[in-house]
Order: sequence, then structure tokens, then C-alpha cells
Amino acid sequence: MYSKIKNQFATPEIEIKRNDLSKVIVKRDRLFELINLLRLNYSYVTLNAITCADWIEDDHFALSYILTTEDRKHTMMVQALIGRDSAFDTISHIFKQAEIMERDLHEMYGIKFIGNQNLKELSLENWIHTPPLRREFDTLKFVNENLTFRDGRDDNVDTKVETKRLRALKKAKKLAEEKAKDDKNGNS
Amino acid sequence: MIKMETPKHITIFHGPQHPGITGNMSVELDLIGETIQKATTHVGYLHRGFEKLIERRTVIQAFTIVCRICVPEPDPNEANFAMAVEELAGIKITERAKYIRVMVLELSRLSAQFLWMAGQSGSIGLYAVGQWAIADRDLILDLFEELTGGRVYHMYVYPGGVRRDLPNGFLDKVTDLLIYLKERMNLYNDIFINNASFKNRAIGVGIIDKEEAVANGYVGQVLRGCGIKADVRKDAPYLIYDELNFEIPTQKAGDVYARALVRRDEILQSINILEQVVSKMPKGDIMIKMPTHRKFKLPKDDTWVKVESARGEFAYYMAGDGTEKIRRMQVKGPSLIHGFTLLEDLLIGAELSDVALIMNSLGICPPEIER
Amino acid sequence: MKWSIDIKGTLSPVSILGAFFDKPNTIAYPQVKKETAKGYRGFHTNVLSDCIGCSNCQDVCMNDAIDMIKTDMEYNAKNASQCIPRIDYGRCCWCSLCTDVCPPDSLKLDEEYMNVSKYASDFIYIPKNQ
Repeated sequence: MYSKIKNQFATPEIEIKRNDLSKVIVKRDRLFELINLLRLNYSYVTLNAITCADWIEDDHFALSYILTTEDRKHTMMVQALIGRDSAFDTISHIFKQAEIMERDLHEMYGIKFIGNQNLKELSLENWIHTPPLRREFDTLKFVNENLTFRDGRDDNVDTKVETKRLRALKKAKKLAEEKAKDDKNGNS
Repeated sequence: MIKMETPKHITIFHGPQHPGITGNMSVELDLIGETIQKATTHVGYLHRGFEKLIERRTVIQAFTIVCRICVPEPDPNEANFAMAVEELAGIKITERAKYIRVMVLELSRLSAQFLWMAGQSGSIGLYAVGQWAIADRDLILDLFEELTGGRVYHMYVYPGGVRRDLPNGFLDKVTDLLIYLKERMNLYNDIFINNASFKNRAIGVGIIDKEEAVANGYVGQVLRGCGIKADVRKDAPYLIYDELNFEIPTQKAGDVYARALVRRDEILQSINILEQVVSKMPKGDIMIKMPTHRKFKLPKDDTWVKVESARGEFAYYMAGDGTEKIRRMQVKGPSLIHGFTLLEDLLIGAELSDVALIMNSLGICPPEIER
Repeated sequence: MKWSIDIKGTLSPVSILGAFFDKPNTIAYPQVKKETAKGYRGFHTNVLSDCIGCSNCQDVCMNDAIDMIKTDMEYNAKNASQCIPRIDYGRCCWCSLCTDVCPPDSLKLDEEYMNVSKYASDFIYIPKNQ
């Protein structure tokens, strides 16, 4: 099976991660072709999940379709890299459950799935900012701008700075003492 | 709300405050009389942004919030997280840690099944069963309190092992509790499972088609209730499940009652597994030496791990990026598909009074839909 | 709906009446208190004569719940920064990572878990010296 996929899709990257898990990376325009091949010829009939990871430094999303065989003994992770602002085709005409997964990803990453009729908001109501799971969305900045913090915690001391200061103080004190001693000795 | 253009339609919200709903979610129902024409699931009352929070934290720091993803049974999350981190970092854990993990996972399955029993019986008005089940669940929580230091959120299964060794005499306490629970199961059979009022309500309600169930990616009791032996513990064994002896209970009918029977048998199987684990518990270390949290780095790689929770397959996608932080952790619990694709489908044509019954039998848990 | 008489299913639930003769599972709470298990993760305690003010606990805390502060309490002579941790219980999640990383093992979690107060500012808690 692996050699056939390698030949047909010209993809060198088939990674066998565990006994029950393999990963294939394909070009985005041949992704559905491969999923259909796996589904019809190798009994990968269930779509378990669509996962997405944001690789902002390489400027792409890694979109993985997790497929499981009918006897649930082997899992195939079919991954395609798509541009961070591009749209993608829906797979909900093949797998019914993909509709809600795509809706989730649309909300969290802003990926538009062409053909999915149900891309309305899922859990974030009236969200007008960047889709929250994109890497450029800075949660700390958002919190600082929109929320207030509890009072009474301003007396935090940076221990590293404080340790240095105390050491310097101690040293100076010791020096001063020695100096005073020397002066005393010198005088007498 | 009565729609004026079609006066016989009425739209109501079932939840989020309704006691028959399983957690903080709601179902918008379109009714004609008592019969449901259209159901739409709404979530969004519980979004906490865990997946984003995890991206900001180091691996060890992230471990403390994964247990909060599912409230009734936090341990599958912890086990999944630990397994994913161990696989990415190439860590092998000790034998004793594996056994303790299995014990914690099975105890948590038991506690979740008792909580389900409370919900399922409450949804048809058998409140006595609910109170007893909650009381029995509390005995399991007492064990957790002693073992992990927390009753609900254990934060116990740690990447590299488990955090505390078993206290003195803990295994004896587990054995005693198992004997007690086994005895109680006869009682639950009498007053709940074989109860004529439950049978009349549950048989023939919420029937799920077998072919559709496989293709649509349903998991857990939904599959087992249709006669498919689906269980991650047998299909892709993790930890030490391949060394243990247990059955996967199945039923043919695919309705609410079949799922209840499957769950009842699963409680007995969990007790069986726990007895084996207690008798086989090896000696040794519980934790391998781990680097401090700023120095623990994951390679640039991704993986997909899954464990069997009380409601079916619970899976995590995890990607590391060569730093001490996790690039992406995606949670895929059973509820996302069950709560939308399945529930919206199953409620069409059902009676209004059966909504709570069907929802409880699917075991939908909104915290893992929204994360 | 089809209806056939289910004699066993109708009669067996009556066995629930036997529970009237059982001992209650509950306890009379204010008079009888439930014993907390040993090793319960409750409030923090800090042995000041051991604390070295290293701020490892502050570093590992993912909720930013810990402040290192100066107090007039007596501290360890080896405490290089002369600071001790103070915990914001509005943020703390009792994961006990701070006690895991404590080098002299001075910060611990206690079985105590009740803190009733009128004021929200009492959530900011200086661990008791033990």
C-alpha cells in the first residue's frame, strides 16, 4: 500500500510512527484524491478528526485528516500544507461529521471551507478580533487591553535583582568594616 | 416562540439551565405538538480557550490544565497528554507507573459510569437511583483523594510516570470497594436496569443505524450498542491493556436501552480489570527522572494518541516545535460528533420528553466540545 | 406503544424499600466533620526557617499566582533575597507544582482547606509558618 501511494502521489514522506499510526504528506490539490483512494481501496472508512497546526514561521497551516480503518486497528494521518490565508475545499459531502469539524476550524483559524454551508459561529459569540488560535493573536496583549487585574499585588519583588542588591550591600558593608579596621590599626 | 407564519410550529430552547441537559449547552427545538421537527445544538457557554493557553506554557506547566477539559472524567485527558508528550520526547515509563495509570483510568471510568447512571435515571424521574449512584461515586472519589490529593481534578498522571506512590494499604481499600460495588450492581439491576418504567421509556428510543455509525465516526457505547466491538483498549492497546483479560460488552438493538445495558456490563468489566491490576501490581519506581520545566523540550514532530474514556475514544493531536512549548494540542473527544452530527439527527421525530433521555445515553459533555 | 405486563420489572424496584433499614451514608455535617485524607492538596504552608527565597515556585507557577514579597517575619539566614512567597488564591489551581520544585522542601500543601472571609483581598494569602 505504501509503495503504491508513493508511486501514485510522488510523495516521499510516509512516516510510520507506531504500529497503528502512519503519516503521509501530500500536495494540497491531491489530498482528496488520496483520501478517496484510502477510503475505497484500503477501507479507511472513518474520518476521526481534522486537526490543524499553525506554522507561522513557514507561513502555512498543517491540516491533517485522521482516517481510521473499518476494524479500527490502523490510523492514517493525511497531511496537507495550505497557505495561511487561502481557502480550502470542504470534505463534508463525503464525511457528514466533517461539517462540524470544519466549522470549528473556521472559527479558530479563519480557514474558509468552500462548499460548507454551515460555517457560522460555534462557541465564540460576537467575536470580532483575529481568530484566536492563529499564532499572531497575542492573548497576553488582549488580556492587558480588555481586562483588569486584582489590586494588592504590586509589592512583588524581583528576587534576582534583590539578591544582587543585598549581596552588593553586604560586600560594601564588609569592605567598610575592613576599612574601618585598617584605619583603626593604622592610627594606633 | 410561536412562529406566526406557520402557527402550528413552536420553537423552544432546551437548556442551558434545564436539569435534563448534560452540562452547559442547549438544544433549540422546533416542535409540532410534542414531536420534534428540527434540532440545533448550541454551545458557547463554557469556552475557556485551553488549546490557546497551552501554546503559551511550557510542557510541564500545560499538564495542569488538561484535566479540566472534561469534568466527569479528567484522567483520560491526563493519560493522553502524558502519552503524547512521552511519544514525542521518546520517554519510556516504568512498569509500575503503567499499572498505576491503568488503575487510575479504570477508577475514573467507574466514577464516570456512576455519574452517567445518576443522569440517566434522573432524566426519567428515578431520583433514588441517582442519589445512590452519586453516593457510590463519592466512595471512588475518596480513593482518589487519598491517592492524588484531589477529589475531582487529580493532576496525577505526569509525563514520565505518576506523581505519587500508592499510600499504605491503598490496594486493600480498592479491593474492599470493588467487592462493595459488585454487590451494589445487583441492586442497580433490580431498581434501574430491569425496572419496567425504564424499559418502557428506553426500548426503541433513539435507534442508531449500524453502517451510519461507522462512517460518521461515532465511538464508544454508541457503536457497542449497535453490535460493533469498538474499544481502543482492544483495537490499539496502550499501557498494559494487552496483558489483561477482559471482554467488550455489546448489544444489537442500538437504542437507549442497549446503551444502558452496555454501560452496566462495562462497570462489571472495569471491576474485573481493576481486580487483575490490583493482584498484579509490580514493585519499582513510579517516575523516571525528568528535566526541569524550562529545559524539557519537544522535537519538531506531531502525533495522534487515543485512549478509551468512559464514553468512547478520546484522542489528542500534539505537535512540538523544538522549543519547551507545545505548538499545538488539539482535543478530539467523543462529544463533538455526538453532540452535533448525531444528536441533531437523532432528535428529529423524537418526543420532547425523550430529549434528556437520548442526550444522557449519548454521554455528551460540552466542556470537551468547546475546550 | 406496545404494552405487555412485565412482572419482574414491576416488582423488583420495590426492593428499594429495603434501604429504609440501611445505615445512612451521609454524616451530620456541622457536628461530625469528614476527615480529610492525608496528602490532600489544601492551603500552602511554608517553613520559614528553611525557605531560601529562590523564587523557583514563582517561576514554575503557570497562573502567575505567586508573588515574592518582603515581610517583617523572621526568615532563614540563608535566604539570599530575604523574600518569601505569597499566593493569590483567586488564581491558584492547587496543582502543587510549586511544592515539587521547592529545593529545601519548605513549601507544602496542608490538609486545611477552609478560608471564609468578607473581603476579596483575603484571597491573597501568605502561607502559614509551620
